[in-house]
Amino acid sequence: MTDLIAWMDQVAPDAALAVAGPKMGRLAELGQAGVRVPYSFAVTVDAFRAHCDEHGLAQKADDILSAVDAADSAAVEAAALRVQDVFLAAPLSEALRRGIVEAYDELSDRCVDLNAPVAVRSSATGEDSGAASFAGAFDTYLGVSGPDRVVDAVRRCWASLFTPRATAYRLQQGIDHRAMPMAVGVVELVHARSSGVAFSIHPVTGKRDRLVIEANWGWGEAVVQGLVTPDHVEVGKADRRVLRYDVADKRVVSAFDYAVGAVTEVAMPERLRERQVLDDDEVAQVVAAVLRIEEHYGYPVDVEWVVDRHRRSGEAVSIVQTRPVTVVAAPEPPKVWDPTAFAAKYAHGGGR
Amino acid sequence: MATVIPVDDYVTDEWYPGFRPAFDHAPFVIEPFRTFSKADEERFWFLDFHWPRGLTPLGLIWNEDGYGWGTQLAAENMPLPPGRGITQRIAGTHTYAAAIAVETEAEMGLRAARLTGYLPDFLNRFDEIWAERVAEVDRSWQFFRAVDWSVPDLPALGQLARQARAFHKRAFEIHFEVMYPLLANYLGFYGVCVELGVDTTQIGKFLQGYDTKIMETDRELGRLTKEARDHGLGELFAVTEATLLWSTLEADPAASAFVASFRDFLDVYGYRTEGSCDIALPSWIEDPTPALGMIKTFLQKEEDHDFSVALTAARQERADAIAAARSGLTTEEQAVFDAGLASCQAANFPWWQDDHNYYIDLRVSLPMRWACLEIAKRIGAERPDDTIFLFWPELMDVADGVRPYDEELRELVVRRRAYFDHWLAKRPTMPKVLGTIPEAVDDPILIEIFGLNSHFLNAVKAAGSGAEIKTLTGVAAAKGKARGIARVLNNADELHRIQPGEVLVCESTSPNWTPAFAKIAACVCDGGGTLSHAAIVGREYGVPTVTAVGLATMVIKDGDEVEVDGTAGVVTVLKATTAEVPHQSPPVPVAT
Repeated sequence: MTDLIAWMDQVAPDAALAVAGPKMGRLAELGQAGVRVPYSFAVTVDAFRAHCDEHGLAQKADDILSAVDAADSAAVEAAALRVQDVFLAAPLSEALRRGIVEAYDELSDRCVDLNAPVAVRSSATGEDSGAASFAGAFDTYLGVSGPDRVVDAVRRCWASLFTPRATAYRLQQGIDHRAMPMAVGVVELVHARSSGVAFSIHPVTGKRDRLVIEANWGWGEAVVQGLVTPDHVEVGKADRRVLRYDVADKRVVSAFDYAVGAVTEVAMPERLRERQVLDDDEVAQVVAAVLRIEEHYGYPVDVEWVVDRHRRSGEAVSIVQTRPVTVVAAPEPPKVWDPTAFAAKYAHGGGR
Repeated sequence: MATVIPVDDYVTDEWYPGFRPAFDHAPFVIEPFRTFSKADEERFWFLDFHWPRGLTPLGLIWNEDGYGWGTQLAAENMPLPPGRGITQRIAGTHTYAAAIAVETEAEMGLRAARLTGYLPDFLNRFDEIWAERVAEVDRSWQFFRAVDWSVPDLPALGQLARQARAFHKRAFEIHFEVMYPLLANYLGFYGVCVELGVDTTQIGKFLQGYDTKIMETDRELGRLTKEARDHGLGELFAVTEATLLWSTLEADPAASAFVASFRDFLDVYGYRTEGSCDIALPSWIEDPTPALGMIKTFLQKEEDHDFSVALTAARQERADAIAAARSGLTTEEQAVFDAGLASCQAANFPWWQDDHNYYIDLRVSLPMRWACLEIAKRIGAERPDDTIFLFWPELMDVADGVRPYDEELRELVVRRRAYFDHWLAKRPTMPKVLGTIPEAVDDPILIEIFGLNSHFLNAVKAAGSGAEIKTLTGVAAAKGKARGIARVLNNADELHRIQPGEVLVCESTSPNWTPAFAKIAACVCDGGGTLSHAAIVGREYGVPTVTAVGLATMVIKDGDEVEVDGTAGVVTVLKATTAEVPHQSPPVPVAT
């Protein structure tokens, strides 16, 4: 029998992406390469396939979608929601349910916690392949606690393979949903003092001589979803020197609501709004992690990072996600002073 | 829809009463200097700020030697890829300038390719080249200073005048030979700074704090001010009209030590005119009123302007600005920035913009002037400078004995003087631009030197709307904010009118205005970009300055209380003067 559950610190690195999908697979690669990552396991691609086979879900999805005109966005949306209902109605096999609950209890034990809050993340095969971009198309649940809620979140992640947006995009691109079976990650929720994203090149200008960090208090959701204007930091790659640190007026924070058991977006406390999020040590550790990850993969990356509340100075920050960065090719920045070329460009109308 | 300001008022083929030139009398490279024709309306012309009083017939020579020859030759030789230099048109006694465009992209490309073989070498050798040119100009200069003008006969004086003009023409060959590459390099660096995200308002600071001959002159004036104070001449300066100071001082035994010092000063620094490139202007040797007037107003200040403290501060500000800019750059970017900065500091355009005035703009018209004044004496002219109201071919004919200085010419000079005065009075209401106003000017020389940026264009376009303007915007040329009473000056002759703490409002400044920056609270100019004289000197002296305001001299009235924000580039009229000021109507643009 195939493995339904895979621990990210145990899965073979060369098999990680196939077993756990790209998002979780890369976390496994990073962890085993020595980057600090939270405890996590994945409900595997095979588990998803077995679940689909058991209920004939792939065929049911095809039956619903084949009748839809891909150009009719209202019809696509309605059909996608119907597929999601089918997925949400399909019960997990006892073996899988037991596997998830046991793994979750084990994760709680590792965190020395009961019903530890976790992040449940979609990790669909091919979701960030070079050709297609499903960034943000699939669900992530932050701060889920308790076995029933975790199992429910796994099922919701599976169903999110058929969000109207992902469904429409696949129909337009002619991508078969069978080509992207979805693993789901269950990841220790790092109690975040601050979080954000970081890019190993400038994501807008494409300049490769610098890293860009965006930071907010609390969890990273508000940054990832663009709900807040985060602090903006640029750091030179060659000497890891902070080039600029723009402190933003941060009006929204993703905070953990213990009563609900979820991370949720609330108004930033007044005193924190214009306070600088990262100190020099934290910047240095984010930079160290990003450069290590870029070096590991050999191409520019973006990452989601978290500074643990209990982190001490000098300790690594946690990386919760990474992927190849998608940027347009940038014009080559000037490398040497060439007075004729610059005069031609700026003094003599060549820049027009 | 393009805004067109008609040229009709100036369409004529007569340059001045009694002169319609043959076009073989002055050299030009691409396009000659001439009067307006209706066809010129399709082009964009801007009022040249260099001569706020207008030009006498002989003064118009600069348009031939400087623009028609100097700019056009330099632009062709270098070559300047997009332009062939500047051409001028006559409007009364005033002149309007336009850039001569290179017509096709293909030709621009070929010119740019040629420039590749020229510019780097020029920049690398700049120190050497400029030293050679200064030495060359100085050799000729020493020759003319050594001439005893009373000795040669009239034809020989004519010959000397020709030689003086050749010197004048050569000086402006050099002027533009040097200016275009320096400006190109500066603008290249400016562009790189934009690309690197460096705050461009700081670029002027990167290049400031280098001593020039003009600053040296100002320091000497400061030293003389202290000397006058130490000799107890404060009271004499305070109660004596500027124009009477020299005769009063010379007659006062108590002032003899100061007079001796002042003569020594004049011997070194006095060969300069009160304005750029104009044969009509005397040097300080001939008339020391401007220098003494400056000392007079310096004496009114509680404290002397400390030139060395200001220079040290400018250098510190330079170091700080460079460090701040570099801190935001990656090591790779720093390499480009540092090399560009080093190049621009070594071949420093803002520095040269000030320094060259000492050697060229403020003195190379003097030998021609000396020849003219001597010729006037020999021919028995009514007034010593009557000859500058002759055109060059007329002057040469008179000197060569081809034509007598007869009643006809004498009468013409009288009419021309009246003509000059007529147009002098019209200057404040002359349109700032003529012809077809473009949506945007993209020639960097017109933008950075003449200040023809979007503020300026919008201001001249808005002039016809009739709305009361209380706030004016322009280029934030030198930082800081100051309030004061506005002194709207039409030319440097009136500089002595300005009191310490007042705000100078003018079309534009030239080097002879520099000493005033030691006493004014702020400066506002109609024209001029970040590289104009006022911008450079404003930064050196720490005087809040806004340039390219467009219509400052029309909107702001003498005596208004104004606030100048040189950081934001905004000028606000706080309290309009109650004194009656004759209404001046701005030009009315016509939409086509």
